[in-house]
Amino acid sequence: MNFEAIIAILARAGVEFVVIGGVAMLVHGVARVTQDLHICYARSAENIKRLAETLAPYHPSLRGAPEGLPFCFDEETIGHGLNFTLVTDLGDLDLLGEVAGIGSYPAVHVFSQEVEQPAGVKWRLLTVEGLIRTKRAAGRKKDLDVIPDLEAVQDMRSGNEDSRRSGKL
Amino acid sequence: MTPEEKQRLLELIANPPPGSKLAAAKEYGVDLSLIVENLELSVGERLRRGSEAARSLKALKGIARQSQAEK
Repeated sequence: MNFEAIIAILARAGVEFVVIGGVAMLVHGVARVTQDLHICYARSAENIKRLAETLAPYHPSLRGAPEGLPFCFDEETIGHGLNFTLVTDLGDLDLLGEVAGIGSYPAVHVFSQEVEQPAGVKWRLLTVEGLIRTKRAAGRKKDLDVIPDLEAVQDMRSGNEDSRRSGKL
Repeated sequence: MTPEEKQRLLELIANPPPGSKLAAAKEYGVDLSLIVENLELSVGERLRRGSEAARSLKALKGIARQSQAEK
């Protein structure tokens, strides 16, 4: 599992995506363990092509599918589907075309912020506000359970004016 | 995070304003000091720690499955 590597590979390839779910929570500082990376991706033909080409070298296959089930992760497959739970050489990756509580990529983008890492890697992260929306919409106990953590991060940010003003994570 | 920012956060979590979401989270049992600890790390460090934790969890689940299968 290498969250940083998958994110950097997608970002460097110019794939339009927003990091959501457990990894987004951990980037915001929430102390929870997550096993897979969830991203919401833009459904434009160009982005789907880029996504398929970028992930191909990492042998994506369907997670939990019976062994031997034919699966070809290409533009056509992504175009005909929406959400995919994948295993790749770099770890488990969930691709979502829509996010509960927010909607598809353009709406998710509104609830995202840019993250810039060393070496100029830039990518987008669902905001704490966006995460709270998705967790409320999902409504399962495990989702509702993390809302106090997210609200605590929100309060810490607003209580720490310097961080808030600079937009630091 | 600067030492001043950290100090301010530590004071805030020690005495969250009554009725605030921070106070509610503390009451709910959220370990606020762990959040402050994470916020001290860079984004890359948070991702690397998260990846390590995911690998450990996966290994533990594998051991648990193997142990169940042997019973």
